[in-house]
Amino acid sequence: MEAEFNKPACLQFEALLEDHLTGELSNADAAKLADHLESCVACTSALENVAPSVDLLRALSPAADPGPGFSRIMMARIRQELSKLNEQKSIWQPFVSLAWRFAATATLALAVLVTFDAVRHNNNPDMAYVRPSESRELFPDPARIPANRDEVLMMVAETNHGK
Amino acid sequence: MAANASAISLPARARKRDEEAELVRLAQSGEEAAFEELIRRHQQRVFGLVNGILRRREDVEDVVQQVFLKVFVSLKRFDLRAAFSTWLYKITVNECWDYLRKKKVRPLVYETDLSEDQISRLDGAASAERPPENPARRAEVQDILDQLLDGLPERDRELLVLKEVEGFSVQELAEILNVNVNTIKVRLFRTRARLMDLYRHRLNVDSSHPAAKGRVKSDGSGI
Repeated sequence: MEAEFNKPACLQFEALLEDHLTGELSNADAAKLADHLESCVACTSALENVAPSVDLLRALSPAADPGPGFSRIMMARIRQELSKLNEQKSIWQPFVSLAWRFAATATLALAVLVTFDAVRHNNNPDMAYVRPSESRELFPDPARIPANRDEVLMMVAETNHGK
Repeated sequence: MAANASAISLPARARKRDEEAELVRLAQSGEEAAFEELIRRHQQRVFGLVNGILRRREDVEDVVQQVFLKVFVSLKRFDLRAAFSTWLYKITVNECWDYLRKKKVRPLVYETDLSEDQISRLDGAASAERPPENPARRAEVQDILDQLLDGLPERDRELLVLKEVEGFSVQELAEILNVNVNTIKVRLFRTRARLMDLYRHRLNVDSSHPAAKGRVKSDGSGI
């Protein structure tokens, strides 16, 4: 008999068995389940096994009503939390605005530097810049590419001397 | 309770939902009275939900307050596509699970079998038409039942308590837990079976025990 209680119900009928226990079974499903129970020992014993649980659980009481005062207590807590949040915000506010100012100043300084550099680059004629065509004039013989600074100076001197 | 909820007519339910949506809109625009009304309407269910999951722990009210605080803060993000109650209950369930995770609360496991005295009290509860009226005796029976429920896997126990004790319907539970209705029913049925196995094991009775046998006959022969 103990073994009978351990037999699992048929998978496709478990939901209907639950509905039957809680009285939520439709008429069509009730007929279908009744037909099945006539021939299925496993489902019948599973149903017999779980049936007392309904009465057993009825002995437990639901949560107590928190009472009409709860919503007022809750609103007071919300206001308290909001003011705490605002306080925290006001503590950090000077630092936040200082950080924004610092960021803005840094960006401006960077922009000025970049612009200044670009302008200087365009206007300075002394700035060393060798166009590809000029490199052929400076070094006409590609086989004699200077290996170091002294050789470069020597080559330039030779070129000027030739002129 | 579930039967009562389903007994509400469809137009009444639609009207209630519209009314609630209006309250949510007002609360979103900063109307404190509207939010207070939302709390008043749902506080009992939220308490039930938290109590069903935490089960009479002292922190139930703290967790409920935390839930409503979270709801207040994130209310502006709620887009009214789902029912407010479903959204609120989902937040509640997550808050409870967070609480249990943070506290690392483990369900108590009672190794010892129940005493003869406890057996007779539980038998009485299982066969009674109504739960015991005497508060002291009721508390005692609840204590014994708690011991049995503690032997169940946590999530299954929550489901059973929310359905059978706190009165949540299968549809509500399916929405809150994002699970198919049929899955909920199957899980409930299997959890009941586990509970009854524990019940029989703890009481050290076989199917011939008068209390178990008597109830089986009266409840199982309905079809």
